[in-house]
Amino acid sequence: MAFQNKRKFCYFKENGIVDIDYKDVKLLRRFVNDQGKIMPRRITGTSAKMHRKLVRAIKRSRSIALMPYVESNSE
Amino acid sequence: MRYYETIYIVDPNLENTILEKTMTEIGQELEKTKAKIINHRDWGKKRLAYQVNNQKYGSFILLQYEIKELSKINDFHTWLKLNSLVLRHMTVSLDKKPDKYIEKKSIGEVAQANDAPSTSDKSVNKVDVEKSSDPEKTELNKEQ
Repeated sequence: MAFQNKRKFCYFKENGIVDIDYKDVKLLRRFVNDQGKIMPRRITGTSAKMHRKLVRAIKRSRSIALMPYVESNSE
Repeated sequence: MRYYETIYIVDPNLENTILEKTMTEIGQELEKTKAKIINHRDWGKKRLAYQVNNQKYGSFILLQYEIKELSKINDFHTWLKLNSLVLRHMTVSLDKKPDKYIEKKSIGEVAQANDAPSTSDKSVNKVDVEKSSDPEKTELNKEQ
């Protein structure tokens, strides 16, 4: 699991990412569970500012069919 | 002056010539709104996360431009909506001026050109190393 470290940190601040692109699906996939739900900040450790940007990016990429709204595990 | 990015999905089963034709059509339609196109490129065929118009795949096309009159952009959006080849589209405003996209092909060629001499150099070096190591080995063998 990606987020099992004891000490949480903001992935974006650590890597110096300022803008989150909705086209970068590989990055956005890290912050979504296998159902396609956005993971809460308390689990991922993302800072509040970046989490707002992240949510916007995920929702954008959902609307253009790059990411799923819902993903069934049985597929 | 603001910069915008429109991404649209086109039917994946189109031939390349028809795809290019629709791209130029869309470009011309956008230029009617006095927009300056910065980038207009094919992002490639991708699997959609969910079916759109019963299509599982779609070719994504990215369009970046700057525009002065925002009132006319609505016409462009309705035109895109009415276009049967476009499955879905979305416009996003950009904070910064987008960089001009340089095709990967040219970069690849450059990289190949750069690689070619370097690999040959390496091979030359390897040969040298082998040659230099050979006498040592032979000496060792002699000692043994």
